[in-house]
Amino acid sequence: MNTTENIYSLYKCRVLRVYDLIEDVKLLLFRFENPDIAESWTCKPGQFVQLSMPALGEVPISICSSPMRRGFFELCIKKTGRVTDKIHELKPGDFVGVRGPYGNGFPVDEFEGSDLLLIAAGIGMAPLRSVFMYAVDNRWKFGNITVINSAKFGNTLLFRKELEAMRDVAEAENIRIIQTVTRDPDWPGRVGRAQEHIKHANTDPEKTYVCVCGPPQVYEDVFNTLIKNNYDPRKIYVTLERRMKCGVGKCGHCIAGTSTFLKYICIDGPVFGYYDIISTPGLI
Amino acid sequence: MQKLIYIFWYIRKMRYVKIANEQIHDFLNQLKQYGKLYAPVKVSDKFYDRKEIDDVCDIAFDYVRTLLPAKKYFIHPKEKMFDIDIENGTYDEPEEKIEPFVLFGVHACEIVGLRILDGVYLRDYVDTYYKRRREAGIIIGLSCLPDDHCFCNLRRSDFVDIGFDLFLHELPDGYLVRVGSPTGHKIVDECAELFSNVTQEDIAAFREFEEKRQQMFSHHGSFDNMRYLLELTARDELWDEESEKCLGCGNCTNTCPTCRCYDVQDIPDIDGKTAERIRFWDSCQFRSHGLVAGGHNFRETKKDRFFNRYVCKNSYFYGLGTSYCVGCGNCTYFCPAGIDYLGNLLRVRSASEPEEVVHEHN
Repeated sequence: MNTTENIYSLYKCRVLRVYDLIEDVKLLLFRFENPDIAESWTCKPGQFVQLSMPALGEVPISICSSPMRRGFFELCIKKTGRVTDKIHELKPGDFVGVRGPYGNGFPVDEFEGSDLLLIAAGIGMAPLRSVFMYAVDNRWKFGNITVINSAKFGNTLLFRKELEAMRDVAEAENIRIIQTVTRDPDWPGRVGRAQEHIKHANTDPEKTYVCVCGPPQVYEDVFNTLIKNNYDPRKIYVTLERRMKCGVGKCGHCIAGTSTFLKYICIDGPVFGYYDIISTPGLI
Repeated sequence: MQKLIYIFWYIRKMRYVKIANEQIHDFLNQLKQYGKLYAPVKVSDKFYDRKEIDDVCDIAFDYVRTLLPAKKYFIHPKEKMFDIDIENGTYDEPEEKIEPFVLFGVHACEIVGLRILDGVYLRDYVDTYYKRRREAGIIIGLSCLPDDHCFCNLRRSDFVDIGFDLFLHELPDGYLVRVGSPTGHKIVDECAELFSNVTQEDIAAFREFEEKRQQMFSHHGSFDNMRYLLELTARDELWDEESEKCLGCGNCTNTCPTCRCYDVQDIPDIDGKTAERIRFWDSCQFRSHGLVAGGHNFRETKKDRFFNRYVCKNSYFYGLGTSYCVGCGNCTYFCPAGIDYLGNLLRVRSASEPEEVVHEHN
């Protein structure tokens, strides 16, 4: 990035489409207005952008589309406050300000040649979708892939229809999609928590990279089950959230860790390895 | 960081001159030609603060600490980032003319503090607002004698090699001046008639001053192992007891030379057509600091927030090889609850009961 340029200035983006996913969650497709930026802008799976609503403020949002789609990106946004309420009112054709991408992202180059196991709980599917879409776009680079998507109820499963629609094709491509709910008696499919379905994955524990995302309380059980099933703890990655104000390691809101491992989650993360997570209090 | 490396290259040709006490006021008046002069003045019985100087006789040379650290000139307590046009959704950077300014009388710890801020604000992504002010500021350092709260010697920030343009060391009859940057050289050259060569007596006096200063520190040794000890004692009762006293006011972070957290807010104008995006100092001692969307708080309790400041300040800053804490003692001095930061660290270091230290309390 050019050093004379203001790092906080925004790119103008146009909303192209708005999809309703589940209650309070929308998926928005954006395109960069400036063709040069649309051409040159790239991101990695697991990175995030700062989305700005005029007079309301900025919010950090994970990119949930594949980085292979140049000039476009999708954000999955849950209604949780002032800014996201306003984002939900956006219509196709409206403009927003965006800057980024920020963060380290998942080490997808390291994943190449290995199996992939993606475990999402609740809204956690949003950042993991970028990894999944990337893997689908570059299918030849990876071995078997399993996605475990879990939620409390059938109608709160994020990207349920999208994953269901690709199930048959996916099975032929050695991609296993497992969608499970924990509290819905009317759900016809699989039930139980995400970790209970790890044994159904088509991945070889010896050579699998695992990506996990979900609310803080799910991690411990997922980790324990993974390790019990012989997955290598060094190959487990987690993506975290904070309310970053800058995204570039200045504002300090995302500082976490202890005195020997003090990290800015926006630049040193948001993706961390298993051993960083368990040895650092306050990270999750 | 490039600027720092440049200065580091220059340090190899350190130049020393002397200025006599009679000349110092002339020198300070001459400094005004390089920009607005800010220096510490006495603002009440106990407190000093940096203010714009009109009459150089007001400047306090014997101050120990000021109300707010020098960082306030580089990261303003509140500043405008963008002018927002709400209808068009445009964000324009305000056209601010940064005028050059001179900070006189900055102590070694604060200079190290500014270098730490450089490492954060100029690393990878360069913060434009900070960088412009940093380039406009001339730093004139001044030697000091410690009070009870100072522990910069334990932090290796009691003596600075770089990060200043000139550094004045007190001598019985004047000041020994170290030149630390090209700008410093230029100032000395342009005021050449005020300076003289350093004599053998001056060197002896400088040595004597440094020795006296070292002996005045209340504690000796090093805090290099503090970050490990802090992690090992994270579950001690000490943190429950001490955080219980904390009022969560954020004075410690505001007065810290290296605390740099800020918050951003959009303030709409009354007509609803325009808005301003401003940023302002924030504090990790506030409950809102660790809050995320959906209401989860990563630093839920006062103890979490209290301990967070200790680990953050004592963590390792790669750029300088020291901790983020420079040992200025401001957080203890200005704490309304009387929490002794240094005392707590000493308890962590030696694990013994705290000595009854009677501080004259503010």
